[in-house]
Amino acid sequence: MPWPGGGHPILGQVRATVKPGDRICLLGASGVGKTTLLNALVGLDPQVPPEAVRLQAGLRLGYLFQEHRLLPWRTLFQNLALVGANRERSAQLLAKVGLTGYGHYRPDQLSLGMARRAALARCLAVVPDVLLLDEPFASLDRPRADELRQLICGLLDRRPQMAMICVTHDARDAHQLANQLWYLSGRPAQLTRESLTAGTLSPAPKVPH
Amino acid sequence: MTRGAPPRWAYWIALPVLIALWAGVAVLLQSTLLPSPLAVLATLAEAAGSGELWRHLGVTLYRVVVSFLLAMALGTLLGVWMGRSALANAVLDPVLVLFLNLPALVTIILLYVWLGLVEPAAILAVVINKVPNVAVTVREGARSLDGKLEQMARVYRFSGWQRCWHVWTPQLFPYLMAATRGGLALIWKIVLVVELLGRSEGIGFQLHMAFQVFDVATILAYSLAFIAVVQLIELGLLQPIERRASRWRRTEVSGA
Repeated sequence: MPWPGGGHPILGQVRATVKPGDRICLLGASGVGKTTLLNALVGLDPQVPPEAVRLQAGLRLGYLFQEHRLLPWRTLFQNLALVGANRERSAQLLAKVGLTGYGHYRPDQLSLGMARRAALARCLAVVPDVLLLDEPFASLDRPRADELRQLICGLLDRRPQMAMICVTHDARDAHQLANQLWYLSGRPAQLTRESLTAGTLSPAPKVPH
Repeated sequence: MTRGAPPRWAYWIALPVLIALWAGVAVLLQSTLLPSPLAVLATLAEAAGSGELWRHLGVTLYRVVVSFLLAMALGTLLGVWMGRSALANAVLDPVLVLFLNLPALVTIILLYVWLGLVEPAAILAVVINKVPNVAVTVREGARSLDGKLEQMARVYRFSGWQRCWHVWTPQLFPYLMAATRGGLALIWKIVLVVELLGRSEGIGFQLHMAFQVFDVATILAYSLAFIAVVQLIELGLLQPIERRASRWRRTEVSGA
């Protein structure tokens, strides 16, 4: 069942692999195709042939969309139950993102920042192998954004095997969260990679084809 | 130009005026062809007392309910399918347009001719008349389903049932309600014609008998009884369902 996708090719040939523990920040000008690449990775882009992306079987994905994309007609508990978290675990997850006591609220009764954290709780509910974050700090005021960044840093430190791909256009995010940077530029967009792993100086970024 | 709820009494003007007008003209004419409201009430009471009213009302209501449920089920399936698949829509749309424009009377006559004056023919005729309307309404809903939530449902591997019930149904609900409202109003009118043409019980049949002897009081009495029943369904069933299902919207407004 195809949903209407983009019109013309946004992405060029992009070749990259993501391993456990990779913390990637995907940078690039707005409109360059960062979200498109993220969607392509999880098979949401109808323009990208399924064989172009190889996902390890049984790989669990947690996707934090730009909008919360919780079901607005269901409470947070019900939203979490839909991804398999029982009441007890839902309460734990909500506590983890600082939303203790909000389980019976519906997403639209929450502020933008709270709803985004609730959506993050849903990402965690599936115990993801890969955490995909699409502009997680966009349109949050400074304190809220810092709070969320701290929260995500903490989550990553607690689960070192979890891979993360975070779309952002803020280099500050990149330096706090990432051990790898991916730059997307041009049209159709090309990917440039750079490793930030402490101690080991990475070879000069290559343009992969 | 005032906004907000109009005063309660505003709802109690037009109908009493209409009834007063009717009573006045009836008194002036003094004809059996326009009985007074009181005469109609008396006829209604008599029909109710003899049990005739309830029997015919029951039969008609049963036909309305059965054909309504069938038409809603078929129309919803068709509408969702056509709204989600461009191919299905392209193939079926001409047929849909044809049936939308087919007069109810034609379907009824043809089915009576082909199947005989039997109950399935009666029900089927009503269903065929209603399915296209439901399908067109639900198709609009299916087309406007939120693609972003659909992506979410795919990433989080929602089952088919979860998608239908938790993601689609709440979005389709306003369209289903619109189809229900329009459906009830349309279906009971078609059921009366079906009964008039080929059944030997039901309100339509009673209207037919009354028409033969120009018994206007009976015609009005039965019509009013059925309008009352349909209003009861609206107030007692549809509005509570709607209130329940749209609770999440109201809290959204008050919470904003």
